[in-house]
Amino acid sequence: MSKKLSSSVPTDREVVLGILNNSDDALNKLYTGYFPMILQFILNNNGDEDDAKDVYQESIIILYNKIKSGDFELSSKLKTYIYSLCRRIWLKKLSKESKKAVNVTDFEDIEAVETDLEKHEEKDRQFEKMQEALLHLGEPCKTIIQDFYIHNLSMQEISEKFGYTNTDNAKTQKYKCLQRLKKLFFQS
Amino acid sequence: MRNEIELEAIIEDYLNGNLSVEEAKAFEELRIKDPSVDHKLVAHKVFLDSLKDYGHVLSLKDKMDAAHATMDVEALKTELKPHSSPIVKLWRNNKSALAVAASFILLAMVSVFAIQHNTKQNGSYEMMRRELDRIKSSQNKLIRNINSNVKTEAAPVRPAKFGGTGFAITSNGFLCTNLHVINGADSVYVQNSKGEAYKAKVYYTDPQYDLAILQIVDKDFSPLSALPYKLKRSAVGMGENVYTLGFPKDDAVLGQGYVSSRTGHAGDTTAYQVSIPVNPGNSGGPLLDNNGNVVGVISAKENQVDGAAFAIKSKYILEALSAIPSDSLGRRSVTKKSPLQGLSRLKQVEKIQDYVFMIKVYN
Repeated sequence: MSKKLSSSVPTDREVVLGILNNSDDALNKLYTGYFPMILQFILNNNGDEDDAKDVYQESIIILYNKIKSGDFELSSKLKTYIYSLCRRIWLKKLSKESKKAVNVTDFEDIEAVETDLEKHEEKDRQFEKMQEALLHLGEPCKTIIQDFYIHNLSMQEISEKFGYTNTDNAKTQKYKCLQRLKKLFFQS
Repeated sequence: MRNEIELEAIIEDYLNGNLSVEEAKAFEELRIKDPSVDHKLVAHKVFLDSLKDYGHVLSLKDKMDAAHATMDVEALKTELKPHSSPIVKLWRNNKSALAVAASFILLAMVSVFAIQHNTKQNGSYEMMRRELDRIKSSQNKLIRNINSNVKTEAAPVRPAKFGGTGFAITSNGFLCTNLHVINGADSVYVQNSKGEAYKAKVYYTDPQYDLAILQIVDKDFSPLSALPYKLKRSAVGMGENVYTLGFPKDDAVLGQGYVSSRTGHAGDTTAYQVSIPVNPGNSGGPLLDNNGNVVGVISAKENQVDGAAFAIKSKYILEALSAIPSDSLGRRSVTKKSPLQGLSRLKQVEKIQDYVFMIKVYN
């Protein structure tokens, strides 16, 4: 493990700057750099590689959001931060599955990450709500909304894609879809 | 319906900052006037934000999945999965602790090793007094009794128990030797290179520096001619070539070497360490430099170590001499220059050998 880490891990500074500049390369390096560490942790604590992937991706999302929000201060090594996040997430999952208290075998130093995790859980709930709402929205509304709000297509492009005769029709359709989505989102 | 759509379009434009200054102003006034518009705006903003977050997370997950696909997870898994052997598990889990413990042990060993080597010279101090071989010695004695026409009758027929070396420090019969040579002696005889033996008594001892001064008290003893050497007051440096004459056997033996250290056994500053071959019987022999000055008294060697003999510095002989009343010392050589200076080693030894005595101790 140590061999792998030292050969391919980017410096903490590289990662932070890369994420701030939306560099896909930095994200890739970060992701592949620390995954073995988490894989080892999860495999040695009653998990499999899919658990490792889920937990690890969740921790990267937290780190990513934290860096993006601008209040990220590197109080420890990035490695320690990621490890602590994953450890905490995995502990929660384990205790959810079995009611009894769980112990994990540690491989790295840890630090307190509870507040970051709580913030993330709030966001995660929003994410799941949105996912659920979009699922219930159905086609073509889902694609229209995603195209307009997420992929930032113009109304012109959307009406061409879906074969609307003019953009006004597309706008009306989008409005209806959005209303339904809002309803689903705020109801659930 | 139509109005609703337009209102929402305006709200979106407002949130995205696409309105002109006047339009924005007009809209803000509308917000203040109509709370329902304001409420709509806030709700819409919250909704759009979470929609955007959703989009971000989704794209991030896509990117991570792509990165994940580039890794060989199966290979990593086999490498990192829990090992069946508890020893390997223990090693993996406690790598850093074990490393610390190991380096501590290593450090401790190195320091113990270093301390031992710094402070302790190997081997022990062995004084070079000779325990004379009974039979051999008595045989020698017999041969001498038969052969010599010189006077030996004064010496007891009984063989000596211990032997050493001494050298004259005055011409009227004062000799210098080591205290450990004559320690506990009932009687002391000295024998010169011609085989003549004289009775001597211990005149002065200096236990601190292991020195003793003997006085020849034999009536047959005739004073020596002026001493060919003098005692060097100052210390000599490392590397000075030196030689010694002693009696490790019944005949005088020349040993040659150099001063190898300014201090003696375990840093003893009263002695030199000399690289010179010495053997039991050499104790008390003079250590001379190339100019024929006595620079020390051979006293001991380190056993188990090659070529480490020790010689007491001549300064302490002079100190011992000062304990003797000067009138009993007789005439002392006052020559500034040693008479041996400039002579070859062969000539020097020739001149000195009359002044070096074998000490025989009976008890």
